[in-house]
Amino acid sequence: MLNVSERFSPLAPRERRAVLRRAFVDSLPVLMGYTSMGFVAGALLAAKAGLGHATLWGLLSSAMCVSGTFSFAMVQPVADRAPAWTFALLAAGLNFRYAFYGFTMLARWKDVPLLRKLFLVHMLSDENYALEAGVTAGAFAVTLLQGALDPDLIRARTNGLEFAMVALFLVIFTDQAKEIAKHGK
Amino acid sequence: MENEFLYMLAVVGAGWAVTYAMRALPFLLFAGRGRELPAWVTRFGSFISPVVIASLIVYSYSGLQWRTPWPYLAGALTVALHLWKGNPLVSISAGVALYMALVSCCGCASTHHDRELVYDAAHPLIHFTNKGMKFRDRYVTPEEAVRLLKKHKVPKDATIHMLVDEDFSSPRATWVFQHNYLGKAGYRKAIVVHARHASSSAPKRRDDRRNPPRR
Repeated sequence: MLNVSERFSPLAPRERRAVLRRAFVDSLPVLMGYTSMGFVAGALLAAKAGLGHATLWGLLSSAMCVSGTFSFAMVQPVADRAPAWTFALLAAGLNFRYAFYGFTMLARWKDVPLLRKLFLVHMLSDENYALEAGVTAGAFAVTLLQGALDPDLIRARTNGLEFAMVALFLVIFTDQAKEIAKHGK
Repeated sequence: MENEFLYMLAVVGAGWAVTYAMRALPFLLFAGRGRELPAWVTRFGSFISPVVIASLIVYSYSGLQWRTPWPYLAGALTVALHLWKGNPLVSISAGVALYMALVSCCGCASTHHDRELVYDAAHPLIHFTNKGMKFRDRYVTPEEAVRLLKKHKVPKDATIHMLVDEDFSSPRATWVFQHNYLGKAGYRKAIVVHARHASSSAPKRRDDRRNPPRR
């Protein structure tokens, strides 16, 4: 796995290409995870939220919030047309954990220039964190796919799709349990 | 349409602002000081994450058919596959596929919302407002109301409360018609409840004696 300080130091073009290739391979699992989760989240939003342009809103919310949990959790309140402050509370409750992810990254990102650091903070999701703030560019491109779906194609049948979120949590939890088992307490 | 645009903009904006603030919090706290992190912060950070995820798992099960074995079977498959292969895509898709298959084969409605229909005096099924007749939270025609009763498998001998709003100013015939319509469809125990009488001890009118509100 690459580390970030290496990645952000000036590199010769050939080295840069090698780093990018390596980074792409490292981020493939995240890429696939985001695609499947983004697909399901977009389908749920299109089918249940009753919006005119679900594709547009799925795209915008995934690009802005970069939070799979929030993409799922927002569907029902949007369908109920809950007031906007509900979503602020929801995001605070669901994404409070990101505050702790940042603590891990403090030392790691010490030498990253400000603009890039702002972007890295923007992309600090579960999966990217798991990749040690993996390859943000690749992940960003795929996150944009979230919700880029034809609502009519998916509207037909979404029964049981809500299990995807639970499955994601189970997978993350299993990973964490594995990690704890490996490193001790 | 424009309202929806502004609303969704507010939703996404709120989500983004709060999420970004959460992510930026530690960077703001320790900005530009080159300070070493206290040991408790690192320990706390690694401890809090599994706790949060575990509580999210428990919470999100409440949105599934948690009274049936299906979500637990699918969950077991997800965890087992993930322990075995360690590929999130495989584990998640297999779990979702199994859950969808079980739910659709075993003929239960998928969401909590669809499954349970509470109908008692505190939750009248039918509600007359000046804007029209509502079945739970949607406006319906008399035929739709009967269709929904059948769809939700409300028994013919169930007591169906029909709440008439306090400021209901449409002709009385509106709810009398609906009452008769339900009767003809076999729902004999439809009761008209007037909101203005429901909480007071005002003298009963003739209609109420015939269909006494039961509280």
